[in-house]
Amino acid sequence: MMKSIEASPLYPIANPKSIALFGASNNASSMGTSLLDSVLDLGFEGEIYPVHLKENQVQNLKAYRSVLDLPKVPDLALIVLPTRLVSETMDACGRKGIKHAIVISGGFKEVGGNGVELEKDLVAVAKKHDMRFLGPNCIGVANPRQKLNTTFMVFEGGPGFIGMASQSGSFVTQMFTYLSDYGLGFSTAFSVGNEANIDIVDCMEYLGACPDTKVIALYIEGIRRGRAFVEMARSIVPKKPIVAFYIGGSEAGSRAGLSHTGALAGPDRLYEGIFRQSGIIRARSIMEMFDYCWILGSLPKSTGRRVLIQTHSGGPGAEAADACGRAGLELPSLSPETIKRLRPLMPHTGSISNPLDLTFAKNVTDYFSEIPKALLEEKKADCLLFYFFTPSRRLRRMLRQAGVAPDHIAEQAAKMVDFQSDAVLRLIKTHDKPFVGYTFQSVTDQLLKRLVERGVPIFPGPERAARAIEAAYRYRCLRDKILVSASHKEAASRQETDRGWTK
Amino acid sequence: MKKKSRADDLIRSGLNRGQRALSEYESKKLLGLYGIPVTREKLSHSADEAVSVAEGLGFPVALKACSAELMHKSERGGIELNLRSKGDVREAYRRITQDIDLELDGVLVQEMVPGQRELVAGLNRDSQFGPCVMLGIGGIMTEVFQDTVFRMAPFDMIEAKDMAEELRFKTILGAFRGQKPVDMDVLCRTLIAVGQIGLELEAVSELDINPMIITLEGRVVAVDALVVLGRDVK
Repeated sequence: MMKSIEASPLYPIANPKSIALFGASNNASSMGTSLLDSVLDLGFEGEIYPVHLKENQVQNLKAYRSVLDLPKVPDLALIVLPTRLVSETMDACGRKGIKHAIVISGGFKEVGGNGVELEKDLVAVAKKHDMRFLGPNCIGVANPRQKLNTTFMVFEGGPGFIGMASQSGSFVTQMFTYLSDYGLGFSTAFSVGNEANIDIVDCMEYLGACPDTKVIALYIEGIRRGRAFVEMARSIVPKKPIVAFYIGGSEAGSRAGLSHTGALAGPDRLYEGIFRQSGIIRARSIMEMFDYCWILGSLPKSTGRRVLIQTHSGGPGAEAADACGRAGLELPSLSPETIKRLRPLMPHTGSISNPLDLTFAKNVTDYFSEIPKALLEEKKADCLLFYFFTPSRRLRRMLRQAGVAPDHIAEQAAKMVDFQSDAVLRLIKTHDKPFVGYTFQSVTDQLLKRLVERGVPIFPGPERAARAIEAAYRYRCLRDKILVSASHKEAASRQETDRGWTK
Repeated sequence: MKKKSRADDLIRSGLNRGQRALSEYESKKLLGLYGIPVTREKLSHSADEAVSVAEGLGFPVALKACSAELMHKSERGGIELNLRSKGDVREAYRRITQDIDLELDGVLVQEMVPGQRELVAGLNRDSQFGPCVMLGIGGIMTEVFQDTVFRMAPFDMIEAKDMAEELRFKTILGAFRGQKPVDMDVLCRTLIAVGQIGLELEAVSELDINPMIITLEGRVVAVDALVVLGRDVK
């Protein structure tokens, strides 16, 4: 483990104070120019030094003919040049004394042939100057807190708690708005490209130490430093959950072993075991990976598998119960004390069991306060799965039907949304049991928007919610497994030492 | 490291004879060195010898053609199971030595291990993760069920237990139709030992224990084993 995050080669890459940029020009359509636009758009506060052979100015910034002419040694070189120029540029950066780079350019190992040689050259040049670099063939890094976005996509949304390392650049850039819709965002996201120098294990180490990262997301197509990967993950998981989405190579014919074991060791099965051994939670899709990040990053503490469901109608309750069952969660029955507390709050048509189905709300206030409070305090359960069903247009109609004057409806509706969101947030604040929502409404609806912006996980449909709760439970199991294993190891080595003393 | 040097001897003599694998008999000797429970067995070179070994072991016994060249014995008619008398053993010996068109190391006479639950354990080398251990539902249905889990070696008892937990059909490890639950401790130690073989013996490129039978009392016993040798051995 590193002494501090500053010791990581990724620290200057994710937190540079100054950048030399190779490849930006006054040609608006070039990739390097897009990249400079991205850096400027997000309002990067450090110095930017474009290096260009001919131009004196690039996008209103003073340009330099050579990196050697720069007035100081920048923290980071960003290289978006034709493949054949990359090594010599890297060499010039090295001579200037730059120690860190991101190589966006492609055309290396990933294309085979001559590209393999070019990548070897690049690695050798970096080594000669003791430089560390991300890429090649990557899109770099997004660190919204530092207002740094080296990708050629416009950054949208805000900073969040998800630290990501991805073997696909698209799963960084294409997710910006998706995440921000759910009130989520990246703490720092790395696109690792060909991992010629810095690899996904280095990224994990950085994100493990990053104070803004509550959960780590990995998109993996293949792991290069297998043994280091497992060790790194196991050192991080006791403090922070790691979620991975892996797409493996083909299962059939991937190995032509003489043994059964060889024949059965397809990459998908092997990785399944490796993830479990590493304490990493595996997701089935990118969206599921972010669902898992959402719940793991927002829950106050780990959860068990016993879930209570609160709904206002049969179908959504039944579907939630079914989804929980299939996800491997348990639905405990309510204790007599809880039933007693709930009885006066329930309409006579409602069913006081699990799922708790109100059929209609006798009193909207209770649905958001006394009822979920009683459920959160049920000793036989670990988590509340709560159904959100009232879109704001329905609230407005309810108010109209209740005789509220038309010009007061908007104001009254806003007050109700205030009340409901305050009530939910208060419940979350005063109970350390997880509160997880599900809905079929859009999360852009007033109440839901407000809650997800404040970090309440509310999933589209109960299946995603149930699987996410199960993932949170799985995290606890995996973490505990590693902790127990570590404590046994410690006890064993203490015993060894003791034996050593008595000898 | 006595066991390692003895295992190295076994491997070296196989390699010197140009073998690509160890025979079942040699494979189990190697497993035995690492503490993995294997069947009681002895190599015989005549029908008479087979009979006397069988009497020593107690009936019923199994007879198996033994050669490093025979990697899939059952498909070649090299196995006779449940032999209950001297006559059975004699007849089986005759048939095996007649039908198998290969120079044999001998015919292996082996105790029959009663139990219907069959597991597979094995070792595979991955270019990134190194030696990896497999546990699965074994026997002739191994490829049908494809219920297998992997771990990178080395790992501890907790991780080994988690491997068993990860099997889809893990219920067969519990009490099953009047048979005792598996001795989890021995199962876990076996998995750890397979990993240790992978870490210590570079010449072993792959390893299969299939079937590894869970006895009525819950013991695990390696009933058949195959150690595949790599080509690049010092």
